[in-house]
Amino acid sequence: MDRRTRLTVAGVAAVLLLGAAACSSGSDGGGSGAEGDAQSITFLTHWGPEQVGMLEDAAAAYTADNPDVTVTIQAVPFGNLLSTLRTQGSSPDGPTIAGIYDAWLPELVRDGLAAQAPAAVAEEVQAEWPQNVVGAASQDGAVYGIPNEVDLYQLNYNRALFEEAGVAEPPSDWAGVVDAAEKITQTADDRQGIGFITNWNSGATHPFLSLLASNGGSFLTEDGTAAALDSPEALETAEFYQDLVDAGLTDPSMSSANANTTGPYLDNFVNGKTGMIIMANWWEGALRDAMGDDFANVGTAPIPVGPSGTESSSISYSWMTMVNGNAEDSVQEAAWDFLTWLNGPDSGEDGSSAMADILLSMGILPSRTTDVEANAEELSSEFLASYVASLDTATPFPTVLGGAAAADALQRQVEALLNGQKDAEQAMADAVADVDSALSSAQ
Amino acid sequence: MTTIQSTLGAEEGALGRLPRPERRRTRLRGQWTGLFLTPAVLVIGVFTVIPMVMTVVISFFEWSMFVPLGEMTFTGLDNYSRLFSDSARIQALTNTVAYVGLSALITVPLAFLISLLLYFPQLRGRNVVRVILFATYVIPTIAIVIIWGNIYAPGYGPLSATLEGVGISAPAWLSDPSWALLSLVIFNVWQMLGYYTILLTAGLTQIPAELYEAARIDGAGVIRQTWSVTIPLLHRSLVFVVLMTIINSIQVFDPIYLLTQGGPSGSTNVISFEIQRTAFQYGMAGEASALAVSLFMMLVAVAGVLGIVLKGRTR
Repeated sequence: MDRRTRLTVAGVAAVLLLGAAACSSGSDGGGSGAEGDAQSITFLTHWGPEQVGMLEDAAAAYTADNPDVTVTIQAVPFGNLLSTLRTQGSSPDGPTIAGIYDAWLPELVRDGLAAQAPAAVAEEVQAEWPQNVVGAASQDGAVYGIPNEVDLYQLNYNRALFEEAGVAEPPSDWAGVVDAAEKITQTADDRQGIGFITNWNSGATHPFLSLLASNGGSFLTEDGTAAALDSPEALETAEFYQDLVDAGLTDPSMSSANANTTGPYLDNFVNGKTGMIIMANWWEGALRDAMGDDFANVGTAPIPVGPSGTESSSISYSWMTMVNGNAEDSVQEAAWDFLTWLNGPDSGEDGSSAMADILLSMGILPSRTTDVEANAEELSSEFLASYVASLDTATPFPTVLGGAAAADALQRQVEALLNGQKDAEQAMADAVADVDSALSSAQ
Repeated sequence: MTTIQSTLGAEEGALGRLPRPERRRTRLRGQWTGLFLTPAVLVIGVFTVIPMVMTVVISFFEWSMFVPLGEMTFTGLDNYSRLFSDSARIQALTNTVAYVGLSALITVPLAFLISLLLYFPQLRGRNVVRVILFATYVIPTIAIVIIWGNIYAPGYGPLSATLEGVGISAPAWLSDPSWALLSLVIFNVWQMLGYYTILLTAGLTQIPAELYEAARIDGAGVIRQTWSVTIPLLHRSLVFVVLMTIINSIQVFDPIYLLTQGGPSGSTNVISFEIQRTAFQYGMAGEASALAVSLFMMLVAVAGVLGIVLKGRTR
């Protein structure tokens, strides 16, 4: 064997060895404990330091009663949560528990990363949570996670601007929105009647889809395989946007977001330059911090109903905790037990779960029925009451394979519409083509 | 193969003609060379060649990254065929070409002009200016992005406020689809200008002063000297700077990820950001790998063209 041959053989061997190592990364290996031994659980979350501290306290309380189980919290920014799961999740030694957005579940289930909940856990979830939330945590009828937060959108408006413009009540339909927006825009040069968020996918698509749902339309067909944006209701919603843009009642430059969900849309609402905006319940904390005493001026009302709609309906989405399907059985068992306790009525204050206490510290709605009852007083605050009341009529964001790419495709068209690059008809036609392409590629 | 064998045979023959001790020394030197090169070759092999080969392999499969590599599904050329049927990818490709073209068109002439101004006039403090210019390249992008995010803020940002102050209506820098990509190009030019200026200034030091003296004696003015002496003798540095501008611009990711996320309306979505989004957000690592391979091929093509240009000028 000459030198060149030896080098070639060594190179091929190195490639094969590395390939074999990579291929074996998902097989059963490591693990964090065997049956009967001490179990170590990792909990991956995107929460901030205050909530991570609360979760650590809850985990310590659980460990006090279950000395064989220790829970370690791993926190990453929201933007890195899914990529962390992709790079670490497939390993048995990756995060045992992960807090996930419901739209990610179909893919996690398809690839075996999300473990199916044990029968007892599934029964409890089905009994204690609203059916639309249970549906978002399920695939093909089986429960794969324990839901925790639920988020939806409402119309937030500035009472001081409404008073100055002579508008007595928040609008309940689209004609009312146009009327209020006209009056507010006329009060000063640098004010916009209503703001529509750009540069952030959920911020751009969820308000559009909430207005569409309140006009009797939907994003996708019932089976979730194609766009339903070629409906007359969708075109009406797009025309509503176009009319507001053409009339100068909304200014896209005043409502752009930066990459971490703050930016001009927040600044302009906080500083009294935006009269109305459609936004989620979880920004209450940011509003309170930024507005101080002026937060009292913030009013909340249901999504205005469109000409073809019969009732207000907001897009809703939920978060849940799932267990790593590649972890050892004993570790999975310990993780489900911890999650059952964390989300149960015995872990928090006065019948509330520890999970609900953590969520409420951020102004986020818990979804468990007993948590809603136990925290009824807090949830009936002037800001949150409208969100809570709209839970029953909410339209869940479709949890299908390709949902994220489909939402990005819609975002591009909504932003093109808001920036006057396309008219309503063109934007919806292009949205249908792009959303269909995204879904077919993923499914 | 015949050529290689005959070349090797010629080398063996040449070695054979050497005296025996000399031949042994040459062989020994070759073995030592091999030994010393082995660690570098191994490191490059493991961390560069193997990932590149794996990226090419993955580009022919469907893979979400949630399952082991062994469970990927073979899809042939589907990932490549989809690159040109998806409007978002076509827009990303167009934006990339526009971003790279604008960056090169603005940065290279500007860097050339500044390097001339910093090199020829014997001004006090020019080294300080060089350091200040180079500092923008040294500061981490994340830190610069925080500052530029505020500079570009509509209405209350210093850039908009200054323009409004002199009666010019400021555009919505990052939220207007017509301006967003250009705003990122301006950011890129500002960040990279110092680096390229230093490279070109280093190139200027290699031009003999006698040539300028001879040109002056022949009656050449500043413009003629620049056109007939500086540019021809600086062309290697210029080609290198053009190549570096293109490579750096084609790989742009940080400011887009941090400032615009590809928006508004996809106007700042470029291939590198699309690769990240496709792989980590959509879970389509096969398509992302096909995009990465295509990006690599684009770089190779650009480098090849510039290489040919450089070779032609040298002849």
